[in-house]
Amino acid sequence: MGIITSTDLPNTFQYKHLSAQDMTAHLQDEGANKGYVLAKLDEVAAWAQAGSLWPMTFGLACCAVEMMQCAASRYDLDRIGTVFRASPRQSDLMIVAGTLTNKMAPALRKVYDQMAEPRYVLSMGSCANGGGYYHYSYSVTRGCDRIVPVDVYVPGCPPTAEALLYGIMLLQKKIRGAQTTVVVRS
Amino acid sequence: MTPLTQQSIIDRISTLSFENIEITTLLGELSVTVSVDKILPLLSFLRDDHTLMFKQLIDICAVDYLGRSPRYDIVYHLLSLQFNCRIRLKVAVDESDATPSAIHIFSTANWFEREIFDLYGLVFMGHPNLHRILTDYNFQGHPLRKDFPLSGYVEPLYDPIQKKVVYNPVVLPQEFRDFDFLSPWEGMTPQRPVLPGDEKANVTIAPKVTGTL
Amino acid sequence: MIEQENNTYQLNFGPQHPAAHGVLRLILELDGELVERADPHIGFLHRGTEKLIEYKTYTQAIPYFDRLDYVSPMNQEHAFALAVEKLLGLDVPLRGQYIRVMFCELTRIMNHILNITTFALDVGAMTPLLWGFEDREILMGFYERVSGSRMHANYFRPGGVHQDLPPGLLEDIQTFTTNYTKSIDDLERLLTDNRIFKQRTVNIGVVTKEQALDWGFTGPMLRASNVAWDLRRSQPYDVYDQMEFNVPVGKHGDCYDRYLVRIYEMRESLKIIQQCLNQMPGGPVMTLNKKVAPPKRSNMKTGMEDMIHHFKLYTEGYHVPAGETYTAVEAPKGEFGVYLIADGSNKPYRCKIRAPGFAFLQGLDFMAKGHMLADIPAIIGSMDIVFGEIDR
Repeated sequence: MGIITSTDLPNTFQYKHLSAQDMTAHLQDEGANKGYVLAKLDEVAAWAQAGSLWPMTFGLACCAVEMMQCAASRYDLDRIGTVFRASPRQSDLMIVAGTLTNKMAPALRKVYDQMAEPRYVLSMGSCANGGGYYHYSYSVTRGCDRIVPVDVYVPGCPPTAEALLYGIMLLQKKIRGAQTTVVVRS
Repeated sequence: MTPLTQQSIIDRISTLSFENIEITTLLGELSVTVSVDKILPLLSFLRDDHTLMFKQLIDICAVDYLGRSPRYDIVYHLLSLQFNCRIRLKVAVDESDATPSAIHIFSTANWFEREIFDLYGLVFMGHPNLHRILTDYNFQGHPLRKDFPLSGYVEPLYDPIQKKVVYNPVVLPQEFRDFDFLSPWEGMTPQRPVLPGDEKANVTIAPKVTGTL
Repeated sequence: MIEQENNTYQLNFGPQHPAAHGVLRLILELDGELVERADPHIGFLHRGTEKLIEYKTYTQAIPYFDRLDYVSPMNQEHAFALAVEKLLGLDVPLRGQYIRVMFCELTRIMNHILNITTFALDVGAMTPLLWGFEDREILMGFYERVSGSRMHANYFRPGGVHQDLPPGLLEDIQTFTTNYTKSIDDLERLLTDNRIFKQRTVNIGVVTKEQALDWGFTGPMLRASNVAWDLRRSQPYDVYDQMEFNVPVGKHGDCYDRYLVRIYEMRESLKIIQQCLNQMPGGPVMTLNKKVAPPKRSNMKTGMEDMIHHFKLYTEGYHVPAGETYTAVEAPKGEFGVYLIADGSNKPYRCKIRAPGFAFLQGLDFMAKGHMLADIPAIIGSMDIVFGEIDR
């Protein structure tokens, strides 16, 4: 059958430069008249994943308090879809907030391994980025990227709640940009 | 009840007539140095005596005086809520000495002594559970000793082939920069603190005076 | 001979757990739902603070104290600043003392908000957290205006505070103080007479007076067990001896009493802040001793002596004469003490940090015996555990 691309279809509509109102109006129109809305699978998958990133609470130290402040009333994380889940099996984002010590490193890897794909890691704070203020200590891992692969690094000590929010939005951008779905020929 | 002065505490402790006991007062704080065998009797006396009543053990810590013999000092801090005063007890020990555990006198001594064992390697006799508490499970060495390096010996890394966290020897991309503020001139070392030609200048190493630069 | 089977089930309340308040690994031995033994494993946040402090100058060591009890940063800096001032024999100007006391009490409110609301969250109430954290944001805003950082302020220095208050801050703190009583009333209306909250906290984790003294409890844990002891009253530091405030003391020593003690402490803190605002004097905020206090930046850029002092203070730092001191402050969690040994050089020789939470967590075993599994988060929450200070 082949892969149907957007240029092959008649009357394809380029959505990229529409304002939000025009987009909503267009979608409502399509839904009401045709009964379906056409979109790229990649973009739909990206929208679903980025719009509902469920982080796992991995607050280790001071950055955890800033993470809690970010999730609280002022910089509400719930409005961008991030609901904190306690279990790694139900989450797709791990925010490593705080200093990762040598004793905690195996536990971190175990929890990361329990997460289901696609999974993302956001390293929050200078201790998680590269050891931070405790870089030269005998019991601190110099960066959580020695244990898990990291997608976004948020600098700061601690990063302000706004900075964490910006980091999560950057991660959403990364998810949208890197999304590739594979369609199988029949 | 009569307020407790430091002199009355000193008098009261002197009634015990321990040998090798040394009492000093510095910056308003009372410090008592005893020998290892007398520490438990002294702790019980301080807790139970009705004119002293040091009911709370606030802290036990150890200090490493590298180069001194005996090398370590174990320091106990006690607080008397009744009479609103504090006292410090010090015991000088070596690595091979085993201090008796204070756990039967003050239950709170449990974890404090475990921490000293973990960080300094000093053993407490009679402690029910003397294992590592703060450092990693298979950590080798006692970190707070002065001859233990700041960055330790091993660091963890995830090995994707073995699929587990392994420990490798420490490799620091940038070593810890510890500046010796002896002098801005590179020719001066602790071994030769005077540059050639400066022999007539009076140079002292690490001046011990109040608040001078 | 009949052999008794050991029917206990070992449960690992792992280092990653939403109710663990940080990284606590608790090995519980359960007989059904009843807890027979609780063995806390700590050290998952042991960062080597004390060893690192021995390698840094006194000014460089202050930020480590912020990161110990990270929900009430300035109280820890206060202990270290007082210890160094004692060794140096420094005097702190009056305005500096008032600013310190005011920020200490603001920090106490921050800490109690976090503790009460997360305690309520562990017990099942989600609303107090969302209400309380908005007030915390306002307080963090004050931190940011005065020091530049929302959380780790590095503001209290030996000799006073780093820089003076920006204009307009005192009016905003006044507004906060006037309005905050209503917020505490809102929190109380949600929790204090709540049937479910009471069922989960009354007679849970009871600590008698003798047990509290024996296990080294201090602060609200001790006061809830009917011991009237507050370092701000018995061994006052800075201008606490001129402040009029009450010290709430509980009767039963259970989780509910600790919660009530903290609520009343918040109200008393507001009184202290109001007195500080009324009595705030003018003048310098940092000691005038040039060998310890760095000069103002404008002077540093124009004057030679000031430039030299600035350079020497920020590279080598000041030398503290040989001596030792144990200085304790009434941190929101309990007695936070610093045992500082100086040897005459520019770096501390030994700095032992006595954290209140260390003693509390030891007592978890006797507090949890006979209770059910669901009471463990309630007990841990009421103990006000923060791993930054326990593990250091």
